[in-house]
Amino acid sequence: MALPNQQTVDYPSFKLVIVGDGGTGKTTFVKRHLTGEFEKKYEPTIGVEVHPLDFFTNCGKIRFYCWDTAGQEKFGGLRDGYYIHGQCAIIMFDVTARLTYKNVPTWHRDLCRVCENIPIVLCGNKVDVKNRQVKAKQVTFHRKKNLQYYEISAKSNYNFEKPFLYLARKLAGDPNLHFVESPALAPPEVQIDLAAQQQHEAELAAAASQPLPDDDDESFD
Amino acid sequence: MASTTEPTNLKKEEEEEDDSKPGAEDEDTGAQVAPIVKLQEVAVTTGEENEDVLLDLKAKLYRFDKEGNQWKERGVGTLKLLKHKESDKIRLVMRQNKTLKICANHLVLPTMTVQEHQGNDKSCVWHAADFADGELKEETFAIRFASVENCKSFKDKIEEITESMAKAPGDSEEGTAAANLIEKLSVESKDTEEKQEAEDAPVSSQDKKDETEQQEKIGSEK
Repeated sequence: MALPNQQTVDYPSFKLVIVGDGGTGKTTFVKRHLTGEFEKKYEPTIGVEVHPLDFFTNCGKIRFYCWDTAGQEKFGGLRDGYYIHGQCAIIMFDVTARLTYKNVPTWHRDLCRVCENIPIVLCGNKVDVKNRQVKAKQVTFHRKKNLQYYEISAKSNYNFEKPFLYLARKLAGDPNLHFVESPALAPPEVQIDLAAQQQHEAELAAAASQPLPDDDDESFD
Repeated sequence: MASTTEPTNLKKEEEEEDDSKPGAEDEDTGAQVAPIVKLQEVAVTTGEENEDVLLDLKAKLYRFDKEGNQWKERGVGTLKLLKHKESDKIRLVMRQNKTLKICANHLVLPTMTVQEHQGNDKSCVWHAADFADGELKEETFAIRFASVENCKSFKDKIEEITESMAKAPGDSEEGTAAANLIEKLSVESKDTEEKQEAEDAPVSSQDKKDETEQQEKIGSEK
């Protein structure tokens, strides 16, 4: 469901509510999908931020309106007011912080009071970190409450597509739905302007001297 | 975190292949919920149907954030250089692993120069008017490959392409315009360009006389 000021699209769209304790990586996860970047800096979300996120599937293009809600109580805003008309949800916790898992039942309860019978994915984020406080075996809540569980890492991209894929399959009732290549349209010809070209070269030289983030990480999968 | 992968394996790997984690978590423990939409299977078009693949490498792409003066990750996936079968236009297309979304999509123009990234011989930088989001955006890109060899393959291929375009500009107006631009550029930026390696700056006036040699070299490599 779109916000009143958000343009609707002519392909299926779903309201996705993302909840969980502050600092578990909800915003970073959404940002990762939106731009590819990995934001290390922690800035608590105030109230809610809604981002449209499109995927291409073998059944056409679909959109999730991601309602990235505040995890910190003091910035909660309308709280479960944001859950109204939610069609699917992600509950996020941080496997390196036990308390964030202990709070999962509360998030789940509040969510289910507003949204009945929607597909929900529980995500244990930050599984790239060596010293986990919540081991995979200790995660049992999803079995009791019939949620899907994924271990994810917004940093390494491990399983990062799985929550969306799962929700899309449930919403469409199609277990074979999968992501496909989006059409790479032919880029238009560009006018090459000499002044601009020189500016680009200068910018390029400056950028080339800035280090790349996570230079040590050699995984490309 | 995914384990380090040998460069030789990278090429062959499938998109769907999962890394070092146990697969048991793919078990569906979710509740039965009624679907809310009915979707029909559609024909998939990649937009790459009429193109030949010149290069295909796994890599990590970054874009430069001018405001923050820092590199930001754009995506990890497969970079391709594609040549259109009819127009002969060459473009760079990179897709994100798993979601298969486009992280870069731009023409390889004669003015494109790929430079080394300081401090990392597996990475390099360039500038382009990128069309990944369906609108042209000026972007400064950096890319990191799994190996020095892959990085060299990429740089060499781009150089080969841009040199051959600059050499034979007669085919199109754009080509001629670009070639003229290169001439102008080389005159005006002669002093700075001279300091660079010949292979990095084939546009400088100094290198004009070397061009024939380079062309021959490329020709003999084929």
